[in-house]
Formats: sequence, structure tokens, C-alpha cells
Amino acid sequence: MSLRDVLGIAVGNLRRVRLRSFLTVSGVVIAIGAFVAMLSFGAGNRRLVTQQFQELGLLFTMQVTPRAESDSTRVPLDDDAVRALGELPGVELAFPLDDLPVTVRLLGRESETTAQALPRAAFTTRLYSRLAAGEAPGEDGAGDAMVTEALLDELDIGDPDSVVGARLLLEMRVASADSGFAEAFAVDPDTLRDRLARVRLDSLSDQGYRRRLVFREINEATSRFMRGFMAGRTLHDTLTVRGVLEGGHQGQRLRVGPVIVPVATALRFHGAGLPPEPMALMRAAGGGDLFATEQAREGEFPQVTLQLDPRADHAAVADTVRALGLRAFSFAEQYDEIRRAFLFFDLGLAAVGLVALITAALGIVNTLVMSITERRREIGIFISLGADTRDIRLLFLVESAVIGLVGSIFGIALGWLVTRIASGVAKAIMTRQGLPPMEVFALPLWLILMAVGIGLGVSLVAGSYPAARAAKVDPVEALRGE
Amino acid sequence: MAEPWLQARSLRRVYRRGPSEVRAVDGVDLDVARGEFLAIVGASGSGKSTLLNLLAGLDSPTGGSIRVAGQELTALDRRARASYRARRVGMVFQTFNLLVHHTALENVELALAFNGAPRRDRRARARAILARLGLVDRLDHWPGGLSGGEQQRVAIARALVKEPEVLFADEPTGNLDEDNSLQIAALLGEFNARGLTVLMVTHDLALARGSARRLVRMHYGRLAEAPAWEAP
Repeated sequence: MSLRDVLGIAVGNLRRVRLRSFLTVSGVVIAIGAFVAMLSFGAGNRRLVTQQFQELGLLFTMQVTPRAESDSTRVPLDDDAVRALGELPGVELAFPLDDLPVTVRLLGRESETTAQALPRAAFTTRLYSRLAAGEAPGEDGAGDAMVTEALLDELDIGDPDSVVGARLLLEMRVASADSGFAEAFAVDPDTLRDRLARVRLDSLSDQGYRRRLVFREINEATSRFMRGFMAGRTLHDTLTVRGVLEGGHQGQRLRVGPVIVPVATALRFHGAGLPPEPMALMRAAGGGDLFATEQAREGEFPQVTLQLDPRADHAAVADTVRALGLRAFSFAEQYDEIRRAFLFFDLGLAAVGLVALITAALGIVNTLVMSITERRREIGIFISLGADTRDIRLLFLVESAVIGLVGSIFGIALGWLVTRIASGVAKAIMTRQGLPPMEVFALPLWLILMAVGIGLGVSLVAGSYPAARAAKVDPVEALRGE
Repeated sequence: MAEPWLQARSLRRVYRRGPSEVRAVDGVDLDVARGEFLAIVGASGSGKSTLLNLLAGLDSPTGGSIRVAGQELTALDRRARASYRARRVGMVFQTFNLLVHHTALENVELALAFNGAPRRDRRARARAILARLGLVDRLDHWPGGLSGGEQQRVAIARALVKEPEVLFADEPTGNLDEDNSLQIAALLGEFNARGLTVLMVTHDLALARGSARRLVRMHYGRLAEAPAWEAP
């Protein structure tokens, strides 16, 4: 008997008991629908992450940072190190990253933000070449700045083209020990008169009183020093906005500062003094030179980004960087870890879907076992006409497979429908929370094939027991028919 | 003397019912020549249906041998025995055993599906045999809509559409009235006259005498030693 004949008989049998078949198939539809919807969520998120990594070129990017200050093998991440990193095999480009706290004024609007210093070569990488307007800084781009869409959002500027060519005023407050000492030793006649008036001349012979007086003066001098140090002074630079980079929104994990300035500007700002922060002062004091600036002390960058050759062995590059006494962070390695995490996530979701599938499988077993009882005579007739036990087993397996296949097809459709509804709700929530709406579900071909495969596989496993029972029906007993 | 077409020797079929044994067929020797019409008669429970099932390859003997055209049936594997039933054997039962959810035409076609006949020939062959049995206007009828005689004729059509070498009929008239019984008996005789070997089990001695050319009696699983009756 051909498979086509078996299929014809199987479909005929299922159609005869329509309600029962419908209910059994419905179980599979719901199970596969749940399975597809859940894995679709995992697939959608994985696609989002992969897309971001690929769009930003992060899979070919490595970040290098210096080791901890306490590490005796620490190597400074200075110009020499940047040069050495750029010459490593597999490295196409090495550029330092440097962040500056600045105040930006653009088209009459103001924002306190971060400026990032970048060499012109960095604009050849994918991360810094996604332009929303304008162009990358030119050959003589010493006075050029780039801004991101995120900064324009913050400044409430809707049209990126409107800022191209505009003047961008950059301000940065710097502090130095000089201004602190100037404040500490400044003598204001009125203040001096008040201070002198508070001195009890008749008590100066008392040693304890003299000691308290000196402590008070030192405390007040320290306070004045800190006030002077923190007040610092303001540096200015005026740049021309050359282009607008896409993105840069918070939460996108982009290593793109809201404002990108030439390295020369950053060096000038850095060289002007310490950041107006107590911690910067402590670091300078710890370095033994209160009058040093950060750049003058170390000439060091907090981070260097390496653009790698896509064909290079990234792990080998990372090992070489570590051998140089630096820390290497590979996005490719992180991507692999994320993928591993997604695998466990998917397995968890699939396990939930499989529970539903097991329930559906029990429905198939129940339907087919009932069918055997009702069709004993039919089985006997088939055997008398020349059916083999294998044909009988095949007939029940095909019936089971038809249930699984039809259930899978409609289950995939149900799963798709559920993901569309969930996606619409998710996008609405994202929009309401001010986030860019993202598609968090995906229905790739592999998921469709997997759903069909699992639906078929589970139904065949479920059908194997009734099929084996059907094959054991004694035709003589069955044909006797009482 | 040439070997008979069908030969059973020391054929036994024992059923175990708990601690006891039922010897349904107990050492039967039987020779059937090609083209013969043999009737096996006996009381209910004498083992005649069991013998028929063994010869048709529907049941397996506990002992003894069955040779069909020189080939040992008991030595065949599962698939080969299925093929024997599908290609060389036709069976007719007392209760007709038609598939109630298939039309007369579909019931007959089904035999050809198991027989391996080309799909494109099946419908025409099924129509032809049903027409020959006077059922041309019953092709699309469900078994439930047919009379007992018509149902048995559909069953005979289903058995014969594959042009078997032998027809095993188990009480083919047991559920029919006298007129229909005579019609069926005449039909079997007609096909036998055209060369079909027929083995018929019946408890109706008159029917057996009226249609078969040889008659043997079965009693408690054994055949009567001498032929019970042979047509002149």
C-alpha cells in the first residue's frame, strides 16, 4: 500500500470524527502557538542585539584600558601605547577616547553634557560614520565638532540639518591649586577686621587658646582654599558643527559622546587644569604635585578603541594586548556571552512550550487509542485484504502526523498572531515611556521549520504507542466482530 | 500424481484459555486441487472457520504445514504472508465485513490499494466487477443502504476484483435469506466454473451440496477421514 493510499485513509478517518479531530488538533495548535510565541520573543531580542552589534561595528571593536593604579605591572595608556596598539597585527585603527564635562551652547540653547575627543581617522569606523546630517570632519578639521541626535533631542532641536555649519560654544570649568591658594591667602580688609576683633588679646598668653586660634585659622584657610579650587575658571572654545551622528540616546550603550571634539581641543582643555572635584585634588596631592594637571601628569588616556580587521583572530589580538600590560575588552567576546545567555533563555522558554506540547501529545494518544477501540473491525478487514502490521502501524502514525502537521501550521499562525498583538502592545508602551519603538519579536525561517519539526516529532512519538497497539490487533478476533 | 495446489499436513491450531487448551484444528490433512470447489461443513465450534483462516494466511498454525503451489506458507515472513493475502487470496465473511464509511465502489477499490494495482486502473476495475455482479446502480451507496444480499455481493466483488487464485468463503450465506443465499451460491459456482478455486465453510449442508463439487466434514477440529460427499 502506497503512502498516498495510507494518507488518504488517514485523512478520511480524521474527517469522519470531525469534532474529536478538531479538539485534538486544537491542543497542538495552542501548544505550538505558545512555543512559537515564546521562542519568537527570544529570537526577536537576539536579532535586536545582533543588529546593534553589527550596525555599530562592535563585533570588530575592542576597548583597551590601563590596569588598576595599584597594579605594579601597570603600563600607561599614553601616545606610545596608542601607537603600539595601532601597529599590532589584526588592528586597523587605534584611537583614544577621552571624555570632558562641558557646557554646550548651540543655536541659543544650552546643555551640560560630555564632550568626547576623537581623531579624524575614527570617523572611518562604522560606529562614527552613521550620519544623520552633514559630513565627517575634513582634513583640516581642527575647528570642527560633531554632535549626536541625542544632543539635539536634549536641546529640543528637531532638524539635524539646521545645526550643520552652526557655531558651537564649548565651555569647561577647570580648577587648580593656584586659584585655591589665591583664595586662601586673599586678605579682605573687612574680613580681616572681623577676624582680628574676635581675637581675645588678654588670652594670648594662654597656650591652649593660642593652639585653638591657630587651628581655627588653618580650618578657615582650608575652606577658602577649597572654595577657590572648586570655583576654578572657565575655558571657552568655539567650533563649527560639521555633522550630526545618528543615535547616541541614553540606554543604547553607544560609546558616542553627545559632542565630539578634535583631540587638540581636548588636550588644551585638559592641560588647563584639574577638574573641579575634590577627588581630582586628592589624586594630584597623591601624585606629589598639587600644581600638576591631569594631562601634564600622565599624558594618559582612560581608554583606547581598536578597530579590528574582520578576518583577524580577535582572541589572539586580545591576548597580545593583555601581554602588553593592558586590559582588553572584546565586544565579540561579550557578544558570544550574550548569545550563550540567549541560548539558556530560549531553552527556558522552549521548556515551557514543551509542557504545553506534552499535554497536546496526551490528547493525541487519547484520540488514537479511542480510535483503535472503534476501528478494530476495520483493522481486521485491512489485514484480511493484505495489510501488514507495518501498514497498520503506519496508518496510525500518519493520522498522528497529520494531526501534528495541521496543528503545527495553524499553531505557527496562532503564534504569529499572538506576537503581533504583543508587539503592538510593547511598542505602545515603549512609545509612552519615550523609548524608540523596537520590534522585540521575530519569526525566522528556522523557528517555523523547528515548530513544524517539533510538532511532527511530538505527534509521532505520541502516535507510536497507539500505532503499536493497533498493529497488535488480532484480525481473527476483530473480524469475528461480536 | 501431481502435487495438489493447496496441501495441509498435520495442521494444528491450539488456543490457550488459562490453564486449559482448545484444539480448534487438530491434525488436519487436506488436499485441494486448482479450480476445485470444496465445501467444509460442520457444527458451530468444529474449527472450520479456524481452518479457513489458517489456509488464508490470516492466522498462524501451532503446528503442521500448509503448502500453496509448492510454497510453504508457514515459512513465509510477515510481509510475504501479507502479500499472499493481498495478491493470491480473496476472502468473504458471514458478516460481510464492509467498511461502513466507504461506498460500495470505495470498498472494492480498497482491495486493489492493498494489492498494489496502479491507482489509475483501480476505479475502472472496481466498477467493472460491481457491474458484473449487478451492482452498477449501487456504486455510491454506503453499505448501510444496501440489502444483505447486495452487501455480500459487494464483499464478493471486493474479494474477486484482484483476481485471486483462491476464494475463501466463511459462511457466505449465514446472514442471508434463502433467495439471496441461492444467488450467492450460484455466483460462487459461476466463478468456480471459470477456474477460480473456492473453499467454502458452511453449516448449511444443502447449500454445500448444491454448489460445491466436494464436501468434507469437520468435527472437533478434525476432518472426517473419508470425503463426506463428492459431486458425481
